[in-house]
Amino acid sequence: MADGTVMIQGAPGSVANSSFRRFARRRSTIAFLMTLPLILVIGGLVAWPAGYAIYLSMLNRRMTQFIGLTNFEILLESDSFRMVIFQSVFFAVTAVILKALIGFWLAHMLHHLPTKGQRKWRGMLLVPWVIPPALSTLGWWWMFDPSYSSINWLLAIFAVPSVPWLGEPWWARISVIIVNVWYGAPFFMIMYLAALKSVPEQLYEAAAIDGATSSQRLRYVTLPMMRNIISITVLFSLIVTFANYDIVRVLTNGGPRDLTHVFASYAFQVGILAGNIPRGAAVSLFMFPILGVIAFFVLRGINRRNREEA
Amino acid sequence: MSSTSAPQAHPRGIFHKAGSLRAERRWALWSAYISLVVAAVIMLAPPVYMLLTSIKTSAEIADLSGNPWWVRAPTLENYLALINNPMFRGFFWNSVKVTVAVVSISMVISVLAAFALGRMRFWGSQVLATGVFLTYLVPDTLLFIPLYQIVGGLGLLDNAWGLVLVYPTLTVPFCTWIMIGYFASIPKELDEAALIDGANWLQMLTRIFIPVALPGIIAATIFAFTVSWAAFVYPTAFITSPSEMPMTIGVVSQLIRGDTFAWGQLMAGALLAALPPVIVYAFLMDYYIAGLTAGATKG
Amino acid sequence: MSKNGITRRNVMRNGAGVLAATAVGAPMVHAQGTAGSLRFAFWDHWVPGANAALQQLAQRWGAQNRVNMTLDFINTTGNQLQLTIAAQAQSRSGHDGISLLPWDPGTYASQLEPCDDVMSRLSAKYGAVNPVAEFLGKREGAWRGVPATAGTQTKPACVRFDLLQQHAGIDIRAMWPARGERGPTADTWTWDTFLTAAEACHRAGFPFGLPMGQFTDAVDWVGALFLSYGARITDERGNPTIRGNQELRQAIDYAVRLSRFLPNDVWAWDDASNNRALISGRSALIFNPPSAWAVAKRDAPQVAENCWTVPMPAGPRGRFLAYLPYITGIWAFGRNKTAAKSFLEFISERESAELCSTMSQGYDIPPFLSMADFPVWEREGPPVGTIYNYPLKAHQQATYSIAFSPAPPELAQQMYIRALNTQVIARIAQGGESMDTALGWLEREINNMRRGG
Repeated sequence: MADGTVMIQGAPGSVANSSFRRFARRRSTIAFLMTLPLILVIGGLVAWPAGYAIYLSMLNRRMTQFIGLTNFEILLESDSFRMVIFQSVFFAVTAVILKALIGFWLAHMLHHLPTKGQRKWRGMLLVPWVIPPALSTLGWWWMFDPSYSSINWLLAIFAVPSVPWLGEPWWARISVIIVNVWYGAPFFMIMYLAALKSVPEQLYEAAAIDGATSSQRLRYVTLPMMRNIISITVLFSLIVTFANYDIVRVLTNGGPRDLTHVFASYAFQVGILAGNIPRGAAVSLFMFPILGVIAFFVLRGINRRNREEA
Repeated sequence: MSSTSAPQAHPRGIFHKAGSLRAERRWALWSAYISLVVAAVIMLAPPVYMLLTSIKTSAEIADLSGNPWWVRAPTLENYLALINNPMFRGFFWNSVKVTVAVVSISMVISVLAAFALGRMRFWGSQVLATGVFLTYLVPDTLLFIPLYQIVGGLGLLDNAWGLVLVYPTLTVPFCTWIMIGYFASIPKELDEAALIDGANWLQMLTRIFIPVALPGIIAATIFAFTVSWAAFVYPTAFITSPSEMPMTIGVVSQLIRGDTFAWGQLMAGALLAALPPVIVYAFLMDYYIAGLTAGATKG
Repeated sequence: MSKNGITRRNVMRNGAGVLAATAVGAPMVHAQGTAGSLRFAFWDHWVPGANAALQQLAQRWGAQNRVNMTLDFINTTGNQLQLTIAAQAQSRSGHDGISLLPWDPGTYASQLEPCDDVMSRLSAKYGAVNPVAEFLGKREGAWRGVPATAGTQTKPACVRFDLLQQHAGIDIRAMWPARGERGPTADTWTWDTFLTAAEACHRAGFPFGLPMGQFTDAVDWVGALFLSYGARITDERGNPTIRGNQELRQAIDYAVRLSRFLPNDVWAWDDASNNRALISGRSALIFNPPSAWAVAKRDAPQVAENCWTVPMPAGPRGRFLAYLPYITGIWAFGRNKTAAKSFLEFISERESAELCSTMSQGYDIPPFLSMADFPVWEREGPPVGTIYNYPLKAHQQATYSIAFSPAPPELAQQMYIRALNTQVIARIAQGGESMDTALGWLEREINNMRRGG
C-alpha cells in the first residue's frame, strides 16, 4: 500500500530547451525498456489470461463449441451456485468487518502501552499472520475435529455442550470466518497502529484540555485522521477475502452440503475436479463485478488525493 | 465513521476534571493489558496446539482420555521422521528454489520498472502505474483456470519452473508499487546532481537510488518471499507429483495420507514449513511494517 | 527455463520414484541392454507398506523384460491423483500408465489405449471380471484400461462386535462367521435391523460412524443403500428418474431416519473421520475397508481386537456392496504402449494379485471373481478371521455396486464429485427441507449438469 501520490510527482522539469529534447527522447526509450519486463508480466500473465478466461467461459464442456453466455445462465439458475454467491458475500463482508473491528481494538490497546513494551506484544499478535494460512488452517482443522476437538474439550470444562464445528452449516460458516479473522486481524492491527502513531500527539492534548472523553477523542480525532487508511485496508482486505481459497479448501472443502463454498473453491471443484473447465472459468469470473466496484473506489481515492496535492 | 474532515473539531459542552486524567490513564493501561493478554492467548493457541500435537506419539494422540493440551510423553519422532524423509526434504528444496528464483525475478523487474515509473516519466507512465496497482487487485483465484490451460500448453504443468513463471503475477505489482513510493520520496536534487556529474541512468539507479531506497527494497523482498513461500492456489492446481511440490502444498497433500492421518507428523510438517517466514519476520519485521505502512500513512 | 525443465525431467526420471515413494526406496532396475523404459503412476496406498508389492512386481518384470521401470505413487487425499490425471490428459504428456478413478475411463476414453487384448487373455485364464469394474472400464466399445488389484476396495461394515452384542443384542460373529457359510441369523441382517441397532448404540453413546459428507466413503455407502432399495436417480442415458420414484423416496426416507442416530456432524465427515471414530473407540460400526482396523491395530489394539468385518445389510432389492475399483489406463500418447500392456498383464496374474492383497493386509480386492479365495483374508488378525468377509463371497448373496450407476460416466462423475446422493439426504435431515423440495433441487441440479455439455 505504498503511496498513491508518488507516481504523479516527479514531473519532468521543463524540457523547453531544445538540446534537452534528444536527451528526453532517449530517456523515455530507456524508461520504456526498463518497464518492458513489467509490461510483459502484466500483459502475458494477467491481462491475457483474464481475457482468455472470458473466452473459455463461453465454451461447452468439451471445449469444442461456442455457447455464448449459457454457462453463466446455467450457473445463475442453479440453487447451489446462488448459495455460493450468498456465502462468498456473507463470508467476505462479515470477516472483513470483524477483522477491522478487532484490528482497530488491538491497535488502540497497543497504542496505550509504553513504546518499549509494544514491540514484544506486537510480535506475539502478529504470529497468525506470519504463518502461511494453508498450514495454520491445518492446525485449526485439527482443533475442530469431530472426535478429537481440543476446543470442545475446553468448552466441556465449562459444561458447554460440544459444538459440531464443521458439521452444521452455520457453525461451519462461522468456523471459516473465525479462521479468516484470526489470520487477518493482525494485518489490520499493524496498519491501524501505524496510522495511530501518525496522529500528532498535540491533537490529543488539545482535545484533552478541552475535556474530551476518550470516546470523543476517538470519534473526533482518531477516526477522521485514520479515514484514509481504514478505507484502503478494508478495500484490499475485501478483495483478498473474497478471493480466499486455502481456508475453505483445507477446513471444509465446501461442505456440508456445498454451503461453505466460495467462488474460488467452487470454481476449483467444477472446473478442475469435475473437469468442466469452461464452467469453472465462468464461476471465477463472477468475482469480476466486485473487483470492478472496489477498483473504482480505489481509483477515485487516488485521483482525489492527486487533486488535493496538485 | 465520522464524515468530519477537520481533525481539530472540538467537542462541545464538556466540563472536565483534570484530576481524573491520571486515573483514566491507569485504567486504560489495565484494560489494554487485559485485552492484549486475551488476544495473545487466542492468537497463539492454534500454533501452540500444533506444537503440542507435533511432539506427541500417535498412540497418545489417539487416546481420548487425557487433556489434549498436555503432553505426557514428549517425543521428537515426528520431526525426525520428516527430516529423514527425502520427500519432505524435497518439498523444502523446491520451496527454496522457487522462492529464490521468484524473489530475484520480481525484484529485478519491479526495481527497474519502479525507477522508470517513479523517476523517469514517459508517455503512458502514469496510466501504467495505475495499471500496476489495479493488477494487484486481480486475485490468483480468478486466473488459475486460464493459467492452467496456458501453463499446460507450455508443457510446464507439474513442473516447479511453471510456478516460477506464474508467481510473479502475485509479487511484481505490489513490489513495484512499494518501490515507486520509495523512489519518489527521494529528493529530486539528488538525480539532478548525478546527471550533471555525467552519470547515466543505470549508474544513477545502482549508485544512488538502490542504496537510498534499501529499506523499501527489503520490505518488497520480504513481501515477495512471503507470497511465494505461502502460495497455495497455483501449486494446488499446477503441481501434481511430490517431487515437484513446494512446502505448503506438499504438507497439505502428502502428509494427509489416506483415510487415517498421522496428525503428529502433519503438525510437525506444518510448523517446519512455517518456520522460514517466522524467522524472517522475527528479524526483519520492522522493515516490512515500515514498507507496508509507509505509503498508507503518508496519504 | 525450458532447458532446465528438460534436465529436471531427466533427473526426475531417475529419481522421482525415490522422492515419491514415502520412505521406501523405489525400484530402479537397470537391466543390461534395456528395451526402453516405463513410468507408471499408481495410487499411493493407504496401508503402510502396501506400495512395496507393486515395486517388487515392477522390479521382477523389469529385470525379465529388460525395461527400466519407474513407479510414482500418487495420493488421492486432496484429490491429488484426480488432478494429475486431468493435468496429463490436458497436456498430453506424463506417465505411460496411470491409476484411474472409477469414472475416468469413460471421461478420458478417447485418450486411453484400448486394452481388449490384455483383458481377453486374462478373462480366458481367470473367468469373469467384477461386473462393476466392467461397467466402468469398458467404455465406448473397448476396455480403456485393466482393472487393478492394488487399491481396489469394498466398503463393508467394520463392526465392534463387543459393543453391538452389549447394546443391540446382536452377535455379529455368529451371524457372519469366518467360514464360507451364513450364520443362522444372517437373513435378519437387513437395513431395518440395522436401524434398530443404530438407535440402540446411539443411545448407549457409541453411535455408528457413517459419513454423510461429500467424500467417497459417504457417497459409496449411500450409493449401495440406494441400490438395495432399487432407487435410481437417473437412467442409462442420464435422464433423471426422480418424479414419482417410490423406491428413491423410500431409500431417502430410510437414510433420513437413520441419520438421527448418527453423530451430529457426520455431514462434514471426510474419509478419515469414520476411521477416527472407530479408532477412538467412540463408534460401534463404520463402513470401510480394513485400513481403519489396521491402524487401530497399531494405535488402539484394544479396539482392533473387537472388530469384525461383515457384509452390508440387505434391502428390499437385495444386498449390495459398495465397490471402489482402480483401473490402470495406458495413455494413447505414450511411446511404449506394448511394453506397458504386458506389464499390466503381468501385475494382473493371480500370483501378482495375491502379492498385492497380502502385502496390503488384505485391503486390495482383485478384479477377477475367481480370486476371492486368497488365504490372506482368513489369516489376518487379531481377531483371526476379522476380514474373512471383506471380499464379496458367494455365501453373502450380495452384489458389487457403485453409486449413481447406471448413469453415463460424464454425468455420474459430476454427481459423484458433488455427492448429490448424500446432499439430498442432508437437505432433508439437516436442512429441514421437505422431500419434494429436496427432490426438486436434485432434478434441477442434474438437468443443470447435463446442459452445456
